[in-house]
Amino acid sequence: VTSLSAVWRSPWLAPFNDVNALNDLLAQVHPLWSVDRILARVVEVRAETADARTFVLRANRLWPGHRAGQHVVVELEIDGVRRHRTFSISSAPGGGREIALTVKRQPHGRVTGWMHDQLRPGMVVGLSAPRGDFTLPEPLPPRLLMIAAGSGITPVMSMLRALNARGAHPDLCLVHLSREPADAIFRNELERLARGWPQLQLRNWYSRQRGRPDMRALDALVPDAGERTTWLCGPHDFMQAVSAHWQAQGRPVPRHESFGAPLRRAGSGEQVAVRALKAERLFTVSTDLPLLQAAEAAGLQPKSGCRIGICQTCKCLKRSGVVRNLLTGAVSAEPDEQIQICISAAVSELSLDI
Amino acid sequence: MDGSHPPIPGALTREQFDALQKELDAIRDEVLASRGERDARHIRFIVRLARWCAITGRSLLHFGFVPGSWVLGVAALSLAKILENMEVGHNVLHGQYDFMNDPALNSQTYEWDIVCASSNWRNYHNYLHHTHTNILGKDHDLGYGVVRVTDKQRWVPYNLFQVLWYGMLAHFFQWGVAVHDIKIDYYFKGKISWQNLKQRLRPFLHKTKHQLFKDYVLFPALALWNWPRVLLGNMTANLIRNLWTNIVIFCGHFPKGVRVYTREETKNESRGQWYVRQMQGSANIEGPRWFYVMTGHLSHQIEHHLFPDLPAHRYPDIAPRVRAICEKYGISYCSRGFFRQYGSVLSEMVRLSLPPKPVSA
Repeated sequence: VTSLSAVWRSPWLAPFNDVNALNDLLAQVHPLWSVDRILARVVEVRAETADARTFVLRANRLWPGHRAGQHVVVELEIDGVRRHRTFSISSAPGGGREIALTVKRQPHGRVTGWMHDQLRPGMVVGLSAPRGDFTLPEPLPPRLLMIAAGSGITPVMSMLRALNARGAHPDLCLVHLSREPADAIFRNELERLARGWPQLQLRNWYSRQRGRPDMRALDALVPDAGERTTWLCGPHDFMQAVSAHWQAQGRPVPRHESFGAPLRRAGSGEQVAVRALKAERLFTVSTDLPLLQAAEAAGLQPKSGCRIGICQTCKCLKRSGVVRNLLTGAVSAEPDEQIQICISAAVSELSLDI
Repeated sequence: MDGSHPPIPGALTREQFDALQKELDAIRDEVLASRGERDARHIRFIVRLARWCAITGRSLLHFGFVPGSWVLGVAALSLAKILENMEVGHNVLHGQYDFMNDPALNSQTYEWDIVCASSNWRNYHNYLHHTHTNILGKDHDLGYGVVRVTDKQRWVPYNLFQVLWYGMLAHFFQWGVAVHDIKIDYYFKGKISWQNLKQRLRPFLHKTKHQLFKDYVLFPALALWNWPRVLLGNMTANLIRNLWTNIVIFCGHFPKGVRVYTREETKNESRGQWYVRQMQGSANIEGPRWFYVMTGHLSHQIEHHLFPDLPAHRYPDIAPRVRAICEKYGISYCSRGFFRQYGSVLSEMVRLSLPPKPVSA
């Protein structure tokens, strides 16, 4: 198979093996057909709460199936621009090529806002293969604790649905944090689940009534937390606080799921770490200097030309992190975007293909 | 080209250059802010159009039995190559569509249907030519080392026959473009090492080998006994593309009224002065919209040189505003119809093939 695919990729076969061209020709025949891209059609959109919606997607044959708790990168084209966002799958495995993503509308969120307002049944999106190891181990630990804050409930829901579907009803405590009862995603389904699952303990915490839980409150909510294997999914700061507390208590670090790194204030002159993937180097840059200068100061020699943003020679792939264009002020926050390092400054920790 | 223009750096004050820069930056920002769906639709439409032209053209060459199918096949394949090279390849390689984040239209990975390797092109065209536009000794596109295009260049007897050299360059233009960045002459003059030359040759040889194989071995072989017809058809389509791209590109920089700069004049150039040099160093061709697409919007060479990374099909929209700015600051804006512009290129070429007349006392 390896040699066959090597033959297929051989430049001597051009233009017959031009995958981009083939994909585009196939898409003209059927919108879900592709040589190598997982494409999915939206088959249903339903409201879970006022600002959370579930999108049921039916993927093409390239979808390999997922494990409960995994996430996918969704590729959407919004006003001509392909954007990528990571979402946990909320449905259990076993739905064939059908999966559900439950998406909370982020305040000022360009992509989640568009999904809520524009993404309708019949439209086609791109998907990555499922990723992540925020999943259930085999065999299951005797006692489980899952802490989910806000939309952090989505991978947890996938795991609960998967356990329920296979009739495994272990001793599991779920701490579900949300603003108020109307905001608690999957509240009704969770209650239904608990009725047929005696050892499922639901602990709801509504921050509008009680504020954010401090660690003592969390311990009081789950007195036997130390004896449980813990899963944790929610906002970055919250997860850090919980992880730190668990470590301080001598408990094993919870399994956790998070997307994205914290941002630095642009132009504050703060130092952030940049990982140069090709050069296999780590260096720090100031948030108000062009990355090219910083890379050169660190002894790297990335390609460069005009140094004023015209020639595109220094363009490189930003694998992750946020940068700001020093000429236009535009911010690039997506993973896998091309940036011109001669006119870009770091806003968060970065991974660059230089 | 004409050296008799008022020497522009100095004709405007520093403040005027800065004001002009602000006005042009505002146009650029406006287009940047409105980039989106419309541009994506345009470029994908052209990609598909070029692809279907190629499929049609090659099918006609391979399977056409009707008389005239060869001519139609060559026409469709030429059109495909012209659209792919100019409106898609050239513009994608400038990063005009990188904002779409579509790997099929990415400037760093796109490879076009021409013997010139994208990596060589990105260096000498995007960097050298677009940064050092029309600076003698720095912009190697000035006459492509074959033609004397300005009075500021020294005349040598070789120039007497430059119309002939130009004709040869035009016929083999893709090869001229392909070897441009390799700088073989630099090697013979001892300016670059053998190692450096080898490094520059590698992408060229790699690309050339596959490009020749495709058009002159693979496709003819697939046509079985029809191979001579296909081989000849592919060769003709490449030739037509060569002539057309060459004509368009020569119209963009070498008609009468375009200015050439010396290194001295462009020292410590401000961004505003850089803009002025781009406008004075380029020329536009007027025509209908379909003609603009056929030139890859190099019909708007002036706008392209100001904003090489804006989606090219927007140039006609902003051209009247750029022209108005030129008029306001008294900067020439060289724009003519196709035949007048190319006629001017040829007549300048003939004029400059002769030694300069001694200045009378």
